Amino acid sequence: MTIHETSAVHDMVDHDHLKSQRLRNRVRHNAIQFTIIAVVVSLLGLLAYAVQTGLADKGIRFSFSFLSNTAGFDISEGWTLTAGDNVLLNFTLFTSDMTIASAFVTGIFNTAKVAIFAIILSTILGTMLGVGRLSTNWVVRNLCFWIVEFVRNTPLLIQLVFWYFAVVLRFPPIASAAHFFGLIVSQQGVYLPTFSWSGGDSTIATVLVTLLFVSILGAIFDPKKGMRRACIVSTLFLLAFLYATGGISTNFPVANKFKASGGTSISPEMAALLLAIVVNSASFIAETVRGAIDALPKSQWEAAASLGLTRRYTVNDIVLPQVFRVVLPSFGNQYISLTKNTALGIAVGYPDLFNIYGTIANQTGHSLEGILIVMLSYLIMSWIISTIVYWANRRLNPVGASR
Amino acid sequence: MIATSIKWTRHNLFAKPLDVVLSLLVIPSVLWLGYTIAVWAVTAAKWDIIVQSLRVLMIGVFPADQAWRAWTASAIIGAILGAGLGCVVSFKPHHGVILLLLPILLLLVDGGVNNALPSTGIVGTTVLAWILTSYIAPARKALPAAAFISFIVIVAVMAPPGVGLWGGLLLSVLLTLVTAALSLPIGILLAFGRQSRLSSLRIISTWYIEVMRSVPLILVVYWIWILMPVLAPQWGLADVARGMIGFTIFYSAYVAEYVRSGLQAVPRTQIEAARSLGMSEFDINRSIVLPQALRVVVAPLVGNVLDIFNCAPLVFIIGLTDFLRAGQMILANPQYGDRTFEVLSFLLVTYFVMGSMITYAARRLEERMATGSR
Repeated sequence: MTIHETSAVHDMVDHDHLKSQRLRNRVRHNAIQFTIIAVVVSLLGLLAYAVQTGLADKGIRFSFSFLSNTAGFDISEGWTLTAGDNVLLNFTLFTSDMTIASAFVTGIFNTAKVAIFAIILSTILGTMLGVGRLSTNWVVRNLCFWIVEFVRNTPLLIQLVFWYFAVVLRFPPIASAAHFFGLIVSQQGVYLPTFSWSGGDSTIATVLVTLLFVSILGAIFDPKKGMRRACIVSTLFLLAFLYATGGISTNFPVANKFKASGGTSISPEMAALLLAIVVNSASFIAETVRGAIDALPKSQWEAAASLGLTRRYTVNDIVLPQVFRVVLPSFGNQYISLTKNTALGIAVGYPDLFNIYGTIANQTGHSLEGILIVMLSYLIMSWIISTIVYWANRRLNPVGASR
Repeated sequence: MIATSIKWTRHNLFAKPLDVVLSLLVIPSVLWLGYTIAVWAVTAAKWDIIVQSLRVLMIGVFPADQAWRAWTASAIIGAILGAGLGCVVSFKPHHGVILLLLPILLLLVDGGVNNALPSTGIVGTTVLAWILTSYIAPARKALPAAAFISFIVIVAVMAPPGVGLWGGLLLSVLLTLVTAALSLPIGILLAFGRQSRLSSLRIISTWYIEVMRSVPLILVVYWIWILMPVLAPQWGLADVARGMIGFTIFYSAYVAEYVRSGLQAVPRTQIEAARSLGMSEFDINRSIVLPQALRVVVAPLVGNVLDIFNCAPLVFIIGLTDFLRAGQMILANPQYGDRTFEVLSFLLVTYFVMGSMITYAARRLEERMATGSR
């Protein structure tokens, strides 16, 4: 055989060989895929079977029918959804004759309540702490640094216990509590004044309220440059006018011997949980903000300084807008972990979702079904937060936007 | 001297109108707060409760006559931690002086040898192990194996009186170490699973990680705690073991995300180069990708250990007596009902000191790794 011939034969064989090897690879790939899926499915089946038999030994049947039973226990605070007469759903206070499903809804409501307040407050406090760590003032800088360090290096649960037993429960009893502008801070909780509409439903009132809403929206979304200031002024003017003419009335809490009536209240448990979570998350947010500010090119500060901008304008108009673009995803993670941290409320007796689940599991014995509901609720809450953050991120960082 | 300090003050405290306002507001309040706390700590606080109940705080309800077992375990843990520290920070004499202050302080306050003797032993072994790994390179190589054997010794020493009696700070530390050790291999596997070519493996790993990251730890721990007896009633697993399983299941997902970020930091070209050399996928991952990835994420992983340590008090939900619960147990005694501030501030300060040490180690590691890669 000449060299030519060998090479031709070789080529032919190689071609076939390659084809069969590809086929073999694909078969092997699919076989592995199939094996993995089979193993996982059979493991899950085995798990389900083991749970079923394990529960059957204890005389419990796996079913979700307990959800429609009457709860029979009270929850110290929280609203639930009920079918209304003229509207589809309305909020009512939870009572013990409602179903277990509505107890779960109350838990979700309480968790969401703390989470939403905590998200708003910790973002504000965290940004302040983060900027404070880069302050030109030595005391402020070091104070912020040590607060952040201390909070980040100690467990949230001990902080929560500290806030509850050593701070909130040491507030003065309500009879001798301090009053600031209608705010009552006491052992029995924090009482805040509420505002209510008492201007009736005449045409002028409707027009005024519509104008108020429009100017508030304008102040928030700032449709045109320079509109924001006008909107804020008109909002303040309208509020003052309505308050003066009695359109908006305030409902101040009045302290009695054991509790206060009127206004709205935050229970001591919620106050402690909120304080602990806000301070904790704010420290983590502060660290993110500081990191993002540090990551900005130094030349931006120098450019702003050489243009004669003061430090406040530099921070507000140059640094923070860029920082918020960068840190939004980390904020989202922090918001999710904050929402998860509300489950620690059980340590001080705040009726959040996990705490109410514990009561239900104790009372009905359906702990495994309950945990699926609780897990699903937390998953959905996390998804909602990450969707909102994703959407906000898209708005702040349009595709192709330069940093 | 005075001129420089005035200059410093003007520059750092009263440079601008806003700074003046801030300084005038913050300095008096910080001073007042510090003064109040100092006066309370020196005059009003009754610290004898801490000294009296130090054993409960450290080892929980472990029987007093068996306490030597717990102290031995603590000394071994101290040795592991000291040896680990030696790999990062070389031992300097002033470190030893600071560490030895603790037993001396206890001796002064206690007046006896109840707490001073075990604490001297624990600090002593820590210092010895630290010196060993600081100056003898082969000791560093032997550390993983030594740590593994030490774990077995600890369990063997601690188990006889009953696993259910483990408690106090020792339980928190043990839980942290076991979780950190177990979640690392599982996390690495999950991270590879999430990047696998096999879509089924990828989907399963992704789901596991995402679900675990979206639910609270306390829920996972409680869930495993109630699920284990239903699944395997014949094993009769102790609460401690169930807690450790719950923590490991939860933190594996977090470790997986850290490791994945490290895997992504390894340049693709290296993998392609290895493939073109004919290395198998397993070999590529084991000897090229993983070592570099772990190098990048070792500092975040130490941060994760701090996270585990800070979440250890959550085991109260399954009835374990950890550091926080031990403190609350002391406060539940009506005789000590008014010592809330003393006990809670002791808990917070202890945690802060230990947490700061972990943070410091993480920062040093980060610096070392950064210098090595350039």
